[in-house]
Amino acid sequence: MGMLDKVETMRRMCPVIFLLDTSGSMNGAPIGAVNSAIEGVLPELIAMNSGNSDNEIKVGIMSFDYGANWITGDELVSPEDLKASWKDLDAAGLTKMGEAFHDLNKKLSVSHGFMNRASGSVAPVLFLLSDGEPTDDYQAGLNELKNNNWYKVAAKVAIGYGDSNDDVLREFTGNVETVLHTNNPEDLRKMIRFVAITSSRVASTGSNAPDNSNPDDNTVKVSKAIQAQGGALAPADASDGGW
Amino acid sequence: MANSVRLQKFQQVELADGRTVTVVDKLGEGGQGVVYRVKFDDTGEEKALKWYFVSYFKEPRKFYAHLEDNIQVGAPSAAFIWPKQLTKWIDGESFGYIMDIIPNGYESFSKFLNVIVKFKSVKAMVNAALNIVAAFKALHNKGYNYQDLNDGNFSIDPATGKVLICDNDNVVGHGQQSGISGKARYMAPEVVRGEKQPDKNTDRYSLAVILFRLFAVDHPLEGKRTNVPALTDKYDKRFFGTQPLFIFDKNDSSNAPVPVPGLHQNAVTMWKYFPSFVKEAFQQSFSQDSLINIKGRLLEQDWFNILMRLKSSIVKCPQCGEEIFLESDRETICKSHKIKPVGYLNFTRRSNQAVTVPIFKDAVLYDYHVSGSEDFETVAAVILEKPGKFGLENKSSNTWFITLPNGKSVTKKPGEVLGLGVDSKIDFGNNIVATVVAN
Ligand SMILES: Nc1ncnc2c1ncn2[C@@H]1O[C@H](COP(=O)(O)OP(=O)(O)O)[C@@H](O)[C@H]1O
Ligand SMILES: [Zn+2]
Repeated sequence: MGMLDKVETMRRMCPVIFLLDTSGSMNGAPIGAVNSAIEGVLPELIAMNSGNSDNEIKVGIMSFDYGANWITGDELVSPEDLKASWKDLDAAGLTKMGEAFHDLNKKLSVSHGFMNRASGSVAPVLFLLSDGEPTDDYQAGLNELKNNNWYKVAAKVAIGYGDSNDDVLREFTGNVETVLHTNNPEDLRKMIRFVAITSSRVASTGSNAPDNSNPDDNTVKVSKAIQAQGGALAPADASDGGW
Repeated sequence: MANSVRLQKFQQVELADGRTVTVVDKLGEGGQGVVYRVKFDDTGEEKALKWYFVSYFKEPRKFYAHLEDNIQVGAPSAAFIWPKQLTKWIDGESFGYIMDIIPNGYESFSKFLNVIVKFKSVKAMVNAALNIVAAFKALHNKGYNYQDLNDGNFSIDPATGKVLICDNDNVVGHGQQSGISGKARYMAPEVVRGEKQPDKNTDRYSLAVILFRLFAVDHPLEGKRTNVPALTDKYDKRFFGTQPLFIFDKNDSSNAPVPVPGLHQNAVTMWKYFPSFVKEAFQQSFSQDSLINIKGRLLEQDWFNILMRLKSSIVKCPQCGEEIFLESDRETICKSHKIKPVGYLNFTRRSNQAVTVPIFKDAVLYDYHVSGSEDFETVAAVILEKPGKFGLENKSSNTWFITLPNGKSVTKKPGEVLGLGVDSKIDFGNNIVATVVAN
């Protein structure tokens, strides 16, 4: 042991949390697109982690249908571990988005959730995907979430597919420009990949783009990155997207 | 649109001078753009192309002109991967610049901080620090400042300590602004507080952070006090702007390192190895006066002299064989081994920094010591040990003139060995004189 034998230090955590609608209507090509998108995103997150000395991305994946189910268990996992253990998601059941919000709120907590980390945690990415109308009282869950400080500072993004209710998604993100929509499974795969990677990069590196006037408004930072990098992608509602 | 946000494989891009390059593959991606490997269509030479997300710029034409200026002035030193050519300007479209590809063997400094890569020797680690300081001296001498100095900008060869500085697009001339304020945790506190725009003096703060982390991995301002669960921008502003406190502050231990596995362990270990003059340099760099009042930051030349003293203090512990930094004039503790040299060579101070070399087996003097140059690689002399005595072998190309305490003088030609006696004065030529001081 000498001065060259450094030990790995715990970086700050940058949680990247996916809430994925796995209701019956996602069955077939759409859920296939989700699965291959997530598989494609994980190596990118691994690469981001190796080059980032400030923050370490940890991933949480929740699927919601009849209820909310954390695929990644009680703690956030490294993209490496998730890649090694990844099993394709199946789609069946309802769209209990309210329950998803309720469960997310519970987990966005230091004392009894995901956010307990000795080296602290930066603002998370919250990524919501849905293809339909919530089948439960989404508002009750969302109201709980809106009081959560982690939710408040999070970079919130959403993708609507097919018959999704994009108003609900916009209410979740609080920003029209970070809600994108598509009706095509191939576009869905590309869109998930693009949005997940862009938002993870912004959240984990902090954007050093000029004119970073809004501290702690990480959703705005992501929306700028999406606009700057996503030329071809239109927000779900281009008419009020300000493009 | 001919040139889109992202380029495709095999896409051809026209440069400002009319030559063309073709995209081979992607080398990396950052916040401001994507870096591609490209090939010149005429010569086949491979280069890197940084391709911007153009809509990030409020005034892209101005940034393009700024790059044009920097290309014209040229790189401050060979350590800079400097922009070489711009792509052709087309209104409303993206653009980029050509630079050299970082060669094999160099690893991103971020990987050292993540302990994916380690230095192969103590000398390589100190060389890396010297190379970084030398590069920034050259940059500032050319009238530039860096503005966005952070760990993502350096690539280092772990075996030699050679350094390449990339991402030079935000470098601006004195008094100009790139519009970039820098990366959190590397920005000077006065920039974080919103009092100042980046300049030469804020670069010097960032340089001290880089040097500290190069040796100690951990961040100099992250300790007990910054150990909070939610590190939002509000806290960043407090810890790195309004209430910054060095983890080894001389007068205030309220932000001391936390003894938890995985937190600040490297800083605690490295601090024990640092000789007193390096501890003092960091304590001054991160004093409240520096952090709050923007005073007393070390200049590149100061660091250079301190790091040379450090390099010449590298010896092996005679008891355990481990490489250590040996103090010249006091005891050094290696684990439980106490080591004190019989004396040291004392040179004239340089820019008010002491220049000493401990008289200890295998300690090395460089051209820096004997000719007053900034050459920290060329060996000029080595200290030899025989039972009961020490000698100084002349490995330089000059003859030395030695005055003994009794007034007699001797000369030592290249290849000869001078027996070191107390109070002898060694004249190396070039007006450089060292005295042998006994402890
Ligand atoms: N000259 C180069 N040679 C090889 N790879 C490079 C070169 N320049 C940049 N890269 C790669 O591209 C990545 C992003 O480049 P960088 O200029 O740091 O982006 P940004 O400043 O937008 O964050 C770097 O991390 C590195 O992996
Ligand atoms: Zn020892």
